[in-house]
Amino acid sequence: MSAPPLPQACSAMLRRDLTLAWRRRGDLAMPVLYAVIVAVLFPFALGPDLALLQRIAGGVVLVTVLLAMLLALDAMFASDIEDGSLEQLVLSPQPLALMLGMKILAHWLATALPLIVIAPLLAGMLHLPPAAMPALLLALLFATPLLSLLGAVLVALTAGTRRSGMLLALMLLPLCVPVVIFAAGAVAAAQQGLPWLAPIAWLAAALILCVVLAPLACAAALRIALDS
Amino acid sequence: MSTWIPLWLHKLGSPPTFYRVAGAVRPWAMGLALLCGAIGLYGGLVLAPADYQQGDAYRIIFIHVPSAWMSMFIYAVMGAAAFVALVWRVKLAEVVAMESAPIGAAFTFITLVTGSLWGKPMWGTWWTWDARLTSELVLLFLYLGVIGLYHAFEDRRQGARAAGFLAIIGIINVPIVHWSVTWWNTLHQGSTVNVFGHSKMPWDMLWPLLMVMLATKAYYAASLCRRARTDLLALESGKDWVRQVAETEAGR
Repeated sequence: MSAPPLPQACSAMLRRDLTLAWRRRGDLAMPVLYAVIVAVLFPFALGPDLALLQRIAGGVVLVTVLLAMLLALDAMFASDIEDGSLEQLVLSPQPLALMLGMKILAHWLATALPLIVIAPLLAGMLHLPPAAMPALLLALLFATPLLSLLGAVLVALTAGTRRSGMLLALMLLPLCVPVVIFAAGAVAAAQQGLPWLAPIAWLAAALILCVVLAPLACAAALRIALDS
Repeated sequence: MSTWIPLWLHKLGSPPTFYRVAGAVRPWAMGLALLCGAIGLYGGLVLAPADYQQGDAYRIIFIHVPSAWMSMFIYAVMGAAAFVALVWRVKLAEVVAMESAPIGAAFTFITLVTGSLWGKPMWGTWWTWDARLTSELVLLFLYLGVIGLYHAFEDRRQGARAAGFLAIIGIINVPIVHWSVTWWNTLHQGSTVNVFGHSKMPWDMLWPLLMVMLATKAYYAASLCRRARTDLLALESGKDWVRQVAETEAGR
């Protein structure tokens, strides 16, 4: 039996993961719900002062989305490890990095995209000026795949361990600091009426680097974690 | 000439030989650390003149700066050892990488604490979010992540490989810490001591600093030897040489 051609294998992988995600729609709604709850709590904790909320809105939305993604990251490979399909993927003739890249893409489509869709709503609730909205959306559009890719490497590393959500957060924090800095920098610059394209360009450059390297690193990490 | 170096390295890489060599090196390294530390601290805290601007408060650099150097140096050693462990699967390299992490984390913690103690009287704040301080804090989290990941696995060698991989990813932060004061406009001052060029520091203040630096290096070597020996005994507990070690220890 010959292996199916690469494009077919990729699309099959993507379709499988998206179907699985769609079958568990309730799980998909969880990060969105979480983000809404966190964003709603901020005005209560800080008081409904318009100027203050406007100032922090961009950062709050960014961090909220990041935390919501962290919540969902843990599940990226969990069910595949439980039913053994990840081992099958490692043994398959297709390059593992590419297959994992498809899995990461599916995960991003299922968890990050809904968060980006509701981000304007969250920002609106916190009175982010409309002028800064394009910067926020663009920053999220580049920052969330970056987090998915970086997170996938770390999730792959912890694949062989007992469930360890806190450990994942501890490991992801150093890697996501620059992402948050640049994304927040873009939003802050837009709010002050300054040119905000430079930090976005940095994010895009980092994203391109990660799209190439992270699946390879993810594959290497997975081989280490499953090797026993 | 060219063959004995790799041969010697191969020999040193075997756990029983390393156990013996580390046992012989450790007391000397520890002695050197204590001696240099005592001389350096006496020179720095007593002999060196007070700063014309900061008074005596500047003396904290004799702890702060060597610790900061070590926090980066140990991370580099850990990353190199992790690379060797992943590529050639050398057991000893795994041990060196994983046993370096807690020492490096300790030095990073000392750096952050002494820095903020100095920052309070000088900058008027314990902490500020500038590039040098933030990247050093990130370094601490990287160390903690490596330690945490290592202990999350039940199989220690697998844990060492996974944590080593994380250490290699995180090594990107070391140049960021080092050059953060040049790349960004930070509150933290730029580097004063230059190994390859002219240092912007009088000799009276410089020699105690270099002395303490030597002491921290020697302490790292001693501590690493001790930790690696213990770890090797645990890792190789079923082997013959460990039984022999245990028997000679019991016979004494």
